[in-house]
Amino acid sequence: MMMPKKVKYRKQQRGRMAGKAWRGSSISFGDFGLKAMECGWVTDRQIEAARVAMTRSIKRGGKVWIRLFPDKPITKKPAETRMGKGKGAPEQWVAVIRPGKILFEMEGVDRPTAQAAMRLAAHKFAIRTKFIGREDAE
Amino acid sequence: MRKDITVAAEVRASRGKNEARRTRRAGQIPAVVYGAFQDPVSVAVNPREILKIIHSNTGYNTIFNLAVAGGETTPVMLVDQQVDPVKGYMLHADFKRIDLAKRIRISVPVHTTGEAKGVKVQGGLLETITRVIEIECLPDEIPEGFTVDVTELMIGQAKRASDVALAGSMKLVSSPDTVIAHAVALRAEEVVAPAAEAVVAPEAGAAGTPAEPEVIKKGKKEEEAPAEEKGKKK
Repeated sequence: MMMPKKVKYRKQQRGRMAGKAWRGSSISFGDFGLKAMECGWVTDRQIEAARVAMTRSIKRGGKVWIRLFPDKPITKKPAETRMGKGKGAPEQWVAVIRPGKILFEMEGVDRPTAQAAMRLAAHKFAIRTKFIGREDAE
Repeated sequence: MRKDITVAAEVRASRGKNEARRTRRAGQIPAVVYGAFQDPVSVAVNPREILKIIHSNTGYNTIFNLAVAGGETTPVMLVDQQVDPVKGYMLHADFKRIDLAKRIRISVPVHTTGEAKGVKVQGGLLETITRVIEIECLPDEIPEGFTVDVTELMIGQAKRASDVALAGSMKLVSSPDTVIAHAVALRAEEVVAPAAEAVVAPEAGAAGTPAEPEVIKKGKKEEEAPAEEKGKKK
């Protein structure tokens, strides 16, 4: 699973997800990409599941870039615990996604293959996404 | 490349986000014209006309005429644009006045052609590293793009910016060593290993020992000093 190697603080507050992804919103490396169309949290497990689904789908052909990183710790209190006694323990890591963010990029495969692989990846996320190509973006 | 296209523009008297929003609602986008040692002018243009130019064969390197209402008509080039990250529509455009007698630096797209032997015979992957190279030339000499033949590329070989055939008085500005495309071997292990990790990882999570990253602590000196003071007090 993806997670930071070092952090300054173990726990974070939830924060806000207002606005659009003005950075990281265009295809930079590959020919095709998966773009987020709404805001949300994408967990480390979802990223890993999407990556595995994509790489299996393209069967060793092509290259995949992961353009998001889960750097936000999410805490959770244990089950059947009374309220209080401080904040829970870090449970998972998430990437805060704003609409417009490119989640994955792909190169070295044809468009239908990339689209099929990205479709599988998109099913792993709880946010709406869109498949885009370099020519669509320009 | 120069094209005989004239785009009409209106001078914007007022500025600010509210006025820009009103301009966009009226079907135009705010833009600015600058360069050629003249004062910048804030204008409003029709985004459809600009998109038509961008989607033409010459793309971003098209030199066209911008006719500012009540002003002069000057040859310009689209040098920058702001695009909505979700909807993809244009929000703002920057036009630069072009002196047709002076050499300019521009980025020209490089396309690859053919199927590399490293892919066809050796089963590798052709990776495109650089998609545009910067050149210096006269405005009338700007090419639509360059084509690099990658048919002979074997795994480990690369086509560089110096391999691009420049015509006329064109001069390469990008580093000649810049890799345009190279054939690389596919790493089969890389695909298998994470899949195995994915199977193992949930078990590790279930064991109740989620790995946590190292927490960066503040300077040691600050921590040691109060401890020493406490010791002295006692």
